[in-house]
Amino acid sequence: MNASLHLNLLQDDERFSSSPIRLRVMVPLLAVLGVVGLGVWWLLLIARIDNIMHEKTNLETHCAELKPTHDQVLALRAREKETRAAVSQLGFYRTARIRFGDALARLPQHVPASIQFTELRVPTPPLQPPPDPTLKVKPLGPTNLAETVTLRIMGRASSSTSSEAVRSLLEALRRPAFTNLIRKAEIPKGTFRQDTARGPAARECVLFEISCDCGERRFE
Amino acid sequence: MSQGTLFGSLTAPFKACSDVTGLELGADLSEGVPAVRLRKRKGRVEVVAADFLDLPCVLPMLPGESETQVWRLPAPFRAPCAALAIRSPHASLCHSAGGHGEGTADRAVTYRSVSRQTAPEMPPLVASLPDFQAAWAARLLPEGRRPTACSLQIAAAAAMGGFAASSALAQAGGYAVALFVFAESTSLAAFQEGKLVFYREHAVGADHLRAAISREVGIELELADSALEDTLFDPVPIIEPVLRPLYRQVEISADYLWRRCKCQVEHFFVNGLTVGDEHWAKLFERVMNRTLTFCSPFDGIGRAGQAVRLPEAVEKRAPLLMTALGAARTVLEDA
Repeated sequence: MNASLHLNLLQDDERFSSSPIRLRVMVPLLAVLGVVGLGVWWLLLIARIDNIMHEKTNLETHCAELKPTHDQVLALRAREKETRAAVSQLGFYRTARIRFGDALARLPQHVPASIQFTELRVPTPPLQPPPDPTLKVKPLGPTNLAETVTLRIMGRASSSTSSEAVRSLLEALRRPAFTNLIRKAEIPKGTFRQDTARGPAARECVLFEISCDCGERRFE
Repeated sequence: MSQGTLFGSLTAPFKACSDVTGLELGADLSEGVPAVRLRKRKGRVEVVAADFLDLPCVLPMLPGESETQVWRLPAPFRAPCAALAIRSPHASLCHSAGGHGEGTADRAVTYRSVSRQTAPEMPPLVASLPDFQAAWAARLLPEGRRPTACSLQIAAAAAMGGFAASSALAQAGGYAVALFVFAESTSLAAFQEGKLVFYREHAVGADHLRAAISREVGIELELADSALEDTLFDPVPIIEPVLRPLYRQVEISADYLWRRCKCQVEHFFVNGLTVGDEHWAKLFERVMNRTLTFCSPFDGIGRAGQAVRLPEAVEKRAPLLMTALGAARTVLEDA
């Protein structure tokens, strides 16, 4: 209803805030502090990046210095690995070795006098397939874990009872004295025959062959 | 909102106040500086504190002689904002057809002026105050401490502003003639529909009545108030020659209001009287054949806080708080 009679003689620059926090001071101050803070942060960031770059250069130089030594170490490690593999392979051979000595030493006691051994042989195992050419590292030894070992005894018997003599020998080989070495002994078919190469005089003489299965060599 | 406006709103030291302490400067009262704290809550104005404060208040009368004074108000008066009403012999308040700044250009002392259209088809009301006095007043309440000045008004304008918002004028229907009695002068204001349509200042104040009584009765000036309250003799014949010219002006003002809006003024109010009100009324009835209504600044205003029970001395001298309360009320109504 009534018009205001507020005739204010106070000028704008004489109006102050009663708040202890003065916005017209704080806002510019905070703005300046913000800019200064950003500047300091930026400077710190630049200094940090510079430090990191410097450190990176140092590390690169150090790496370059260490490279030959590192390569040498890598080569030594590779050699060491190779040697270790060879030693390991030798160990496998050692553990896989089948000892024939004791059995062979006992064998003469069981050989009848009419029998003469013409050949006592441990045949070479069959050749393995050639290694894969795509492999970078070639195997140092056989890659199969087991290998069949046989003992071949060939001889002649020259008596009227040659067949008994040969059978006697075969039985002897199956006895417990040899079971440590020989798992199975047999005369392959067609290997027990007359010795025709020596003429009619040697008609009573027979040739024989005994194949003994000695079990497997295990490379483990 | 533009960036500038946003920054301005963030940094503006002053915004609409709902809690204001009104202070009257230059009143030169023995009781102290009149101070009233008003608060507007849910559209209702209430007095929070009122008192006469013991503060140094020597109004500078010449440029350069102003002594820097800083006020620290008691806790009950520490509102966010302060409305200062200044009573100065150099201040002027008048209607001016020339508007803002008229008549101040050729003065030796720099004045600051502000004008406001109070009613349609009326010359604006212009308030002027020497710049040095305004600057002195503005420095009384420093920044960063409650309260700080949000308004500086001429005392008479502040008193009228308080009355314009009062329940007395509202109950009168907005048509009234009001007297505002100060020590050295009396302001006369006519209101039409609550708007100020006429303002005059007369060089007759409470001190002139005291001087007349002191002179006629032969007592000291300080005892004049008690003589006005005394029932042993009738002081009306003594004060009549002083008040009659003033009442004549009231009559002219009522006639002006009649000619302006063809309405008969039925309500006459007087503000700022602390003593002798029945003599004022008796004489007014004799001269004008009308009833003079006395207003207390606290009429129609709720009370809260310390103001619920004001000291008896303050209640008795409440009319002297008219200007301080008016200054605060004007700010609240203008917010």
